[in-house]
Amino acid sequence: MNKTVSAAAPKKKRRGASLVARKARAGWVFVMPFIIGLVIIYIPIVIDSIKYSFNKINILQGGGYSLTFVGWENYQEALFVDPSFVQTLTSGVQQLMFDIPAIVIFSLFMAVLLNQDMFGRAAFRAIFFIPVILNTGLVARIDEGNTLLEYMENTSETIETGTENSAVTEIVSMTDISWLFQTMKIGGGMVSYVTQMINNIYNIINRSGVQMLVFLAGLQSINPAIYESCAIDGATTWETFWKITFPMVSPMILVNTVYTVIDSFTSSTNRVMTYIADVYNQAGGNVVSSAMSWIYFLIVILIVAAIAAVISGYIFYQRRD
Amino acid sequence: MNNTAASDTKVRRRDKEVYNTNYVKTSRWERWKIKYLNVGFLGHTIFVIFRTVFLIGISYVILYPFFAKISSSFMSRNDFVDVTVKLIPRYPTLDTYRAIINDNYYLQALFNTTILSVFCGFTQTLICSIIGYGFAKFNFKGNKLLFFIVVFTMVVPHQTLQLSMFMKFRYFDIFGIFNLLGGGDIKLFGKVLGHLPKILPFTSLNLNNSYWPLALLSLGGLAFKNGLYIFMMRQFFKGFPNELEESAYIDGYSVYRTFWAIIIPNSFTMMITIFLFAFAWQWTDNFYTEIFFTTEGIKLMPDVVAVPKSLDTQYAGQNLYVAAIRNTCGLMIIAPLIIVYLFGQQFLVQGIERSGLTAE
Repeated sequence: MNKTVSAAAPKKKRRGASLVARKARAGWVFVMPFIIGLVIIYIPIVIDSIKYSFNKINILQGGGYSLTFVGWENYQEALFVDPSFVQTLTSGVQQLMFDIPAIVIFSLFMAVLLNQDMFGRAAFRAIFFIPVILNTGLVARIDEGNTLLEYMENTSETIETGTENSAVTEIVSMTDISWLFQTMKIGGGMVSYVTQMINNIYNIINRSGVQMLVFLAGLQSINPAIYESCAIDGATTWETFWKITFPMVSPMILVNTVYTVIDSFTSSTNRVMTYIADVYNQAGGNVVSSAMSWIYFLIVILIVAAIAAVISGYIFYQRRD
Repeated sequence: MNNTAASDTKVRRRDKEVYNTNYVKTSRWERWKIKYLNVGFLGHTIFVIFRTVFLIGISYVILYPFFAKISSSFMSRNDFVDVTVKLIPRYPTLDTYRAIINDNYYLQALFNTTILSVFCGFTQTLICSIIGYGFAKFNFKGNKLLFFIVVFTMVVPHQTLQLSMFMKFRYFDIFGIFNLLGGGDIKLFGKVLGHLPKILPFTSLNLNNSYWPLALLSLGGLAFKNGLYIFMMRQFFKGFPNELEESAYIDGYSVYRTFWAIIIPNSFTMMITIFLFAFAWQWTDNFYTEIFFTTEGIKLMPDVVAVPKSLDTQYAGQNLYVAAIRNTCGLMIIAPLIIVYLFGQQFLVQGIERSGLTAE
């Protein structure tokens, strides 16, 4: 009797545990493609990339390649020998600091507008998401320094090649705006920032597609009952935006800021990226480019971490208990 | 008219009887005035006008380059030196299109890219859904850590891995197994220990100039922006009620069959969104195609962007003419995408709307 119980008990126990175990195992099976890819392809690639950045590489004639260990030499070359890397890096980071608020604010603003009930909303949405799908990769590269668009915009006959790209050259004249704001006692820095933003609007629209989608999704997930009760309590649209919409989409602001940083850092049209690609192409696989991109990656990580740390302090999470 | 007046009087008489009040019906003008001539309505009207103008303006900014590119693609050489010609060509011609199709291997590139993008789009959508589902619904050990690695793959710039990715697929090997079986040297800390008899005819595979690298990356959920897709699918599946799966389990479905028969059919909108992204980004991708394909190999879209040999660009309007030709190439590249987008855009917005995307 006693024996049978003890024989049956482990069996029963195993069966009880197996549901949890089976689900856990199923989870592993579902993420297995990623794990296999990670182990076979990704991790070796990352390790190789780190290894190359500490080596000099020679591609041999008969196939294969040889590495010679040089320590920190590539990093030293990137930071101290290369004349324009550090400069490109700092200006790239500076540009990004200007771009992030512009893109995030613009995409939030557009998402709020496109979320409203209005005539032709579907058409507007379809138009606004065109850049996400179409102006990427090759097309973005063709658009870089596009003389054609500049020519089409300018009514003047002279066009110079190699000038800065913008589809809409100077919507707002800098002098008009500063004249307007001089009397209002608004700082010159702020004014030039805003005019720069407006003149760069094509670029900003092109880069804020995914962010708009994320914000739209966030706005959709806000319970309409909250807005209703606000309206009953007599809140204006302005108040509703700052008291309800803004806190409710604040997690999206974090997601979008991080996404914007990553996206603009890793986009192929980024100045630092193009510089690194140039270095890579120059010597047919120059490893200094590997070292440069690791330095760059570290800076990206630091910036992302800093931004995430600052913003996450101000985020409002809706408790759903 | 008569009828309503009669009923009005009837109601008024009844009101008089019940409440003993005597009021006069406000005239239509009065009602109109109250309804429309107030600050709230005025503000709303101004807002709507502002909004419409603003949206149309931004739409113009987005669409204008396309108009400019389309019109310039029909211009002939003479139009670019003629300063009076802006948007409407004076001597319209199809030469640019003809030259690109004939000289730049456009049709081959179109065919090859279609195969590649459809394959990558489908695989990435399916694989990222599977992986995203695994992250969303199962609490296995290491879930958080693995998901952190997914985010990590998003953050690492491609250029960082450019060289090693090229090398990996140029000398493709899985943990040195091919090297071992192919009779290559076995090395340990730089010292050659010897080698096995030759079983395979090669020590490493050159996978470049084939679809293999992109196929393998897609299968592993590691291709372009796949981290983002996994993230989106995970958030989407997190919004699924657990009861749906539980009832399926009770009905005797296994976890896998539940996924296949219940979850997948219910997430088509989101999957179409992902497919649209994956397809379009693979279609216009120049980064991976330039690493893995040389210009002599399989013709793909990046090879199309060039000045066709048969067009003579050596004249006064060279800069503009070359720019116009390049833009025409761009237009021809995205022409199939525009058609796909027109069909898919409704799903794009719907998929996002239903995703219930929330950051956690």
